Amino acid sequence: MTRYIVKRVLLSLVTLWLLATIVFLMTWFLPSDSARLILGAQAPEASVAQFRVANGLNDPFLTQYFRLIKGLFTFDFGNSWKYPQYEVWDYLKTPLGKTAKIAVLALIITTPISIGGGLIAAKFRDRKTDRAIVLFGLAASSIPEFVTCALLMVGVGLKLGWLEPVYSTEAESLGLFGQLRYLLIPALALALAYFGYIARMMRAGTIQALDSDYVRTASMKGLSGGQVMRTHVLRNAVAPTITVMSVQIGYLISGILGVEYIYNYPGFSRVLIDAATDGDLPVLQVAVIISALIYMIATLFADLFIAFLNPRARLELGTS
Amino acid sequence: MDHMDTEATHGLKLRGQFSRRQIVGAGLAIPAFGVIAAACGDDKDSDTDTTDAVGGDTVAPDGTGGEPVAGGAIRLATTKPASPLDPIAMVDLGTYNVIAQSFEYLTGPDGAGIGPMLATEWTANADSTEWTFKLREGVLWHDGSAFTSADVVATLGRIASAGDGLGGSLPREDDPDAPPPEGDASPTQRLVEGAVTAPDDFTVVVKLDSPNASLPYLVSIFNPQSAITPVSYVPGTTLDATPAGTGPWILDSYDPNTGIKWKRNDAWWGGAIPLESVDMQFFSDLAAQVTAMSGGSVDAIQQFSVVGGDALLNDDNFQLVEVDASNHRQIWFGCDEGQFTDKRVRQAFALGIDRDALLSSLFDGKGKIGNDHVIFDLYTFFDPGAVDQRVRDTDAAKALLADAGFPDGIKATLNAVDLQEIPQLAELLQIQLAEAGFDLTLNVESDSTFYGTQWCVTYPCAGSAELGIVDYGHRPTPDVFLLKAFKSGGDWNSSQYASDDLDAAILEFQSSGEEDARRVASGKIQSIMWEDVPAAIAYRYNGLGGHSKAFTGIEFTALGHVLFQKASKV
Repeated sequence: MTRYIVKRVLLSLVTLWLLATIVFLMTWFLPSDSARLILGAQAPEASVAQFRVANGLNDPFLTQYFRLIKGLFTFDFGNSWKYPQYEVWDYLKTPLGKTAKIAVLALIITTPISIGGGLIAAKFRDRKTDRAIVLFGLAASSIPEFVTCALLMVGVGLKLGWLEPVYSTEAESLGLFGQLRYLLIPALALALAYFGYIARMMRAGTIQALDSDYVRTASMKGLSGGQVMRTHVLRNAVAPTITVMSVQIGYLISGILGVEYIYNYPGFSRVLIDAATDGDLPVLQVAVIISALIYMIATLFADLFIAFLNPRARLELGTS
Repeated sequence: MDHMDTEATHGLKLRGQFSRRQIVGAGLAIPAFGVIAAACGDDKDSDTDTTDAVGGDTVAPDGTGGEPVAGGAIRLATTKPASPLDPIAMVDLGTYNVIAQSFEYLTGPDGAGIGPMLATEWTANADSTEWTFKLREGVLWHDGSAFTSADVVATLGRIASAGDGLGGSLPREDDPDAPPPEGDASPTQRLVEGAVTAPDDFTVVVKLDSPNASLPYLVSIFNPQSAITPVSYVPGTTLDATPAGTGPWILDSYDPNTGIKWKRNDAWWGGAIPLESVDMQFFSDLAAQVTAMSGGSVDAIQQFSVVGGDALLNDDNFQLVEVDASNHRQIWFGCDEGQFTDKRVRQAFALGIDRDALLSSLFDGKGKIGNDHVIFDLYTFFDPGAVDQRVRDTDAAKALLADAGFPDGIKATLNAVDLQEIPQLAELLQIQLAEAGFDLTLNVESDSTFYGTQWCVTYPCAGSAELGIVDYGHRPTPDVFLLKAFKSGGDWNSSQYASDDLDAAILEFQSSGEEDARRVASGKIQSIMWEDVPAAIAYRYNGLGGHSKAFTGIEFTALGHVLFQKASKV
């Protein structure tokens, strides 16, 4: 297992290097002029030229590239170009934390509901309950998150007044429980979209497990229905679900983008988009790398968790 | 540089203001949400307070009839600043409004024009080339130090160094102390020594390159980059890094992603301020601002448009404030090359526009139709008899096109920026102009590409498309419109229009101190622009803002500032 983890971490570092290179190349070949974007279309050329020199934009390709790579190792990414009083990491960490809040809340809401929904659907396969869950899941995952968010903002926020229709900075002064009023709408929008994917995967995995020989054998051995579910069905059915969930974290991040925008939530995705729009390359590069890192870490943990749950997986990984 | 001069840069401000919205909003079908939100409002119209103030200030009445109560806080939904909080380099409305809470100007809004702020009086010599400003005594910076003429001299020096300095009025010279420019860059400039002097602590004398009767407007709140900053400020100093100001609100906290909080300045020269604090919450999207206002998450909204803001227009808890303004769109024609060099073609285009229909469809009538010049009827020196109002006449348009050598009409691409109502304006023009012989193809682009590719590729403006729509925000005088967009070689002259007659009329206008003389010059400008049509101007529209009826005394300027020094709860 340790060997496997080391191998995966090393592989992740290579992936990270490749990713940083791609990100650098993408920003290098961007047609827009970052200095002009930051300073404005009407800024005098002298100021723009001064900005380019001060921020190393005139440096050779390799110098700029190794500056980014060095930053990854030293964790010193310099300062934001748009807001030079902030170091890049300081600038990003608060919105990153905010996004983590709604992402985690969405997962907390959706994971038990969708796993439970999948199990129930499988148990009542081809009956009305199953069809209702599948249909709802399909509908929920078909509607873009930001549309669901808009509907929740109008329905639950404006019409019913149960939750805040738009994020407000007033939330910052509240405790975590108090903030729920400001976090639930975006989290629910994400959770609903997520529900469709996870519940369907859980249903399929459970049906596959229920139809398997080992479950039949377990039943014939005289184990109770609950024992069979817990010991044999759930363990096997949940593995592909976790894989899907880890992959979905990537989609979750992209889904958050629309939700954050429409809910005026000052999270990581909005900062990333703003950095791209403003030509704030240090922030943009690091933000993209962080997004990818989150995805990589989620995938790694999913693999490890599956290996932990499933002895067969450990065998396949050669770690048993 | 231009982003220096007058509030001038308002065309740009709006651009910066919406840059994020463009990129993301287009992909998220945000306008649809505006419609959803609108559906939640009832059918009652919100109360409206309208002002015809050119300067644009107004105090919105409370809707409850209650008595003002001291204390408390107010929350404002405002556009997220697109630029750092640098009083000189800022280019967008969101930043202007932030800066105007803390910093003040020599002149401020006052009914139909401008009035005293940090300057209590000002006089000019006979030809308006030398201005003397008397400064307010007893004004303190937020750190307790005294405000003096040295601060004004230093500020004007920075303004001259950073750009073309108050619409090109301040005399400048190459700065021998600045590092040599790189490549094709222009040398750094500075204020000519002796151009701005301080005979004593509370007097400043400004000597201009050329006559300019509008100087007091150029040092007003309507030219946001002219905010008076302390001597210690240097170019690049930002308000959040070095908090300062003489204004009613002291910076309490700032987060570029979420908002800014202010606490009351108890030492403000203007007297007691009823509210204790102001909480400005940043938004990147109009729909979210409208939702926040409708849902009670904020108490006031800085600015919104009819397109996307209809939920507020139908909200009976909302006090709408409508400010008469010179906001407008210019449909520019390439006058130097291409199909629009013959003025008959441009006149034909202008004749094909149904102005009333545009104003009604796009602004619910909240504005006035335009007449293809920038001397709008809200200016006191507008000459109503100079030219007739141009009305739609498609037969006349086709005849003009035929005379100009286009009997079968003209095919052209109409370029437009994806900002506020402009895409819808382009669509309506496409339909209207088809009947006048113009076969228009639309090209609507994000503001991140439009400016610098379709509009003014280089500065002074060159390389623009032959036909396009560009936005201009409010100015209390037309100087910037004239100098930037229509004077020969103007920085924003996307038409590449050059007319000795107009240049002379603009100079005459600028050097006319008396109202009658200005009206005569204005009449000439109106006539020349109406005849030559370097740009079609179909309408001007009012500024819209508003607040909850639980507050009173909030001031809105035509440019989009929201001022709270007189505001209170009721």
